[in-house]
Amino acid sequence: MQLEQLIFTFFNGEVAVRYLPQILKGAVVTVELGLVIIAAGLALGLLLAYLRSLPSRALRLLITIWVDILRALPPLVLIILFYYALPFLGVSLSAFAATWLALTLVLAAFSEEVFWAGIESQPRGVMEAARSTGLTHTQAMAHVILPQACRLMIAPLTNRVIAITKGTAYGSVAALNEILNEATSASSFAGNPTPLMMGAVGYLVIFLPVVIAGRTIERRHGAGRH
Amino acid sequence: MDLIVQYFFNLEVLKEVTPYVLAGLWTSLKISAWVIPLGLLSGLLVAMAGFLVRNRLVRALLVVYIDLFRAFPPLVLLIFLYTGLPYLGVELSPMGCVALGFMLNNSSYFGEIFRAGLESVSRGQHEAARSTGLTRFQSLIHVEIPQAVRNVFPDLVSNMIEVVKLTTIASVVSVPDMLYAARTAQSMLYNPTPIVLAAAIYLALLWPLVMLLNHLETRQRRPSAGAA
Amino acid sequence: MTAAATVALLQVKNLQKYYGSTHVLKGMDLEIKTGELVSIIGPSGSGKSTFLRCCNRMEDASSGAVLVEGQDIYASGSNLNHLRERVGMVFQAFNLYPHLDVLNNVTLALRQVKKLGRAQSEVVAMEALKRVGMDHKARSRPGQLSGGQQQRVGIARSIALQPALVLFDEPTSALDPEMVGGVLEVMRELREDGMTMVVVTHEMGFAKAASDRVVFMDGGVIVEQGTPTQVFDSPSQPRTAAFIAGIGSRTV
Repeated sequence: MQLEQLIFTFFNGEVAVRYLPQILKGAVVTVELGLVIIAAGLALGLLLAYLRSLPSRALRLLITIWVDILRALPPLVLIILFYYALPFLGVSLSAFAATWLALTLVLAAFSEEVFWAGIESQPRGVMEAARSTGLTHTQAMAHVILPQACRLMIAPLTNRVIAITKGTAYGSVAALNEILNEATSASSFAGNPTPLMMGAVGYLVIFLPVVIAGRTIERRHGAGRH
Repeated sequence: MDLIVQYFFNLEVLKEVTPYVLAGLWTSLKISAWVIPLGLLSGLLVAMAGFLVRNRLVRALLVVYIDLFRAFPPLVLLIFLYTGLPYLGVELSPMGCVALGFMLNNSSYFGEIFRAGLESVSRGQHEAARSTGLTRFQSLIHVEIPQAVRNVFPDLVSNMIEVVKLTTIASVVSVPDMLYAARTAQSMLYNPTPIVLAAAIYLALLWPLVMLLNHLETRQRRPSAGAA
Repeated sequence: MTAAATVALLQVKNLQKYYGSTHVLKGMDLEIKTGELVSIIGPSGSGKSTFLRCCNRMEDASSGAVLVEGQDIYASGSNLNHLRERVGMVFQAFNLYPHLDVLNNVTLALRQVKKLGRAQSEVVAMEALKRVGMDHKARSRPGQLSGGQQQRVGIARSIALQPALVLFDEPTSALDPEMVGGVLEVMRELREDGMTMVVVTHEMGFAKAASDRVVFMDGGVIVEQGTPTQVFDSPSQPRTAAFIAGIGSRTV
């Protein structure tokens, strides 16, 4: 295929201009969704890790089971369950809500594991020291253990966050109007794959900086394990 | 409660769809059986290239390659190939698109893992190997890679589990994997039990692996005495 | 004193090394004859290890020549891997391969570099292990050995290739005191067998008792060299005297 043809097909200026607003709207949805997933997922994960540190065996068992299940299920299956199956029970979630819920639960599960690793990796003595100055378990967790766990676990956490927020693309299966959906419908409407190329570029613009930033963070904070 | 049983655990529906869903499972497993070894191999090659090649341009290209495919959502890549390749005159079957998409994605993820693994092997090992006359390649193969794999084994297992879960995106391009079978069954019978069945099968398949992964990760964090 | 041939096995001519703008080696000239044991002593930061590592190109000198058996190892087109068959190295941190047992640690290079078959490489390896007194641990993993035992295996790994020259980079510095003697004993025996050795060390007792020649380095140059008696008992340079006096007050 000659260069001119290639440009006409994949980088068609006319088509691009026509569908740019649509793709941009999709980008906004992608970014919004990503941000709320990160916020809710990390918060929930942190909460679960804290709950796991409490002396209740039942609670710990419940959390580990819950987390393992969410680590074993494919996110796409969850999204389909929430969007297509729940309505049968009378629960109707919007595409945004269904995607958000599924990916938040998954991120919460993975980040709980990471936070827990951060908590466990600290020597017993730190908790003992905190308790010996009169802090309650919760205070010690909140002011000493968890902040340090967060610092230790930045690197593995970044990786997970990136991987899971890329899953916003799965929302297209639930007819969510994020980038992929807008790009594919625009492409088929225009009979030209330029909008798809724009969508691809859109994803790269959003995620490539994050990946590069992630690598810099990893370098600075050490790759977690070894 | 009745609603849940009727729509999520409907025995009638189960009897009808189970063979169909299991056929889809077989396809999912076949996909995994192909893409995982290919991904591991290509990832290893990418990491080795990063270590052996001295040419600055090639090294820069490798970094771009890895970052590019780590940033690109796999589903988007798949759709991109599926929809876009025909315009280039390339006729690739849906399975072919899946295989290509997975290879591009996996080679960068596994490549990153192997690279981190190789970096974690102390420089002294490389020096000792070279000091006895081994070439860079020989040192990699006999000394550094075995240790690298040991060091990042939990990460490798973790990523392999991710790949199995990722095979569900094949359903979006009409490859008849388990999710595709479940969704088709659901829309035909107007009952989401097949999807619950698919979820349960994924659980049965992957939960043991997740527990194994937990065990591996804990062991790596707190190596027991005597483990050399 | 060995009645060795007067052939110079290793010749170093005006070796210079820069790390960035730091001048680490400022023109080193040295000759090592076959069968000699030469100890290199000196304060930390004098460039001893750097110099040693420039001799088998673990690090590359910035300029100068190093001739091993008459051939300049810095000449373009020289084969590094062949060089390392002739010049072995023993490391401060031992650097044994943790994923291989002791025997395989030694046979790896025999198989891959010397291209010996498995059976023959094991025979050669066991001989080397016997020389260092570690043949009974052939199937053990490095992690199961003490530091002294690991270093002895490290020595076996080098001598199994039957090199012309072995470089020892502070071989006992990472060992607990009670194990140092065992390793030094092995090194003494190697010397008796006629092995040519260059040893960077802080073990002054060993340097004095076992060396044919002692080289004192400071600030990237050779300040003085001579027989142990000359360097330790009657040094001609004030810097040498100061160094000897300083370490003399510590227990060896």
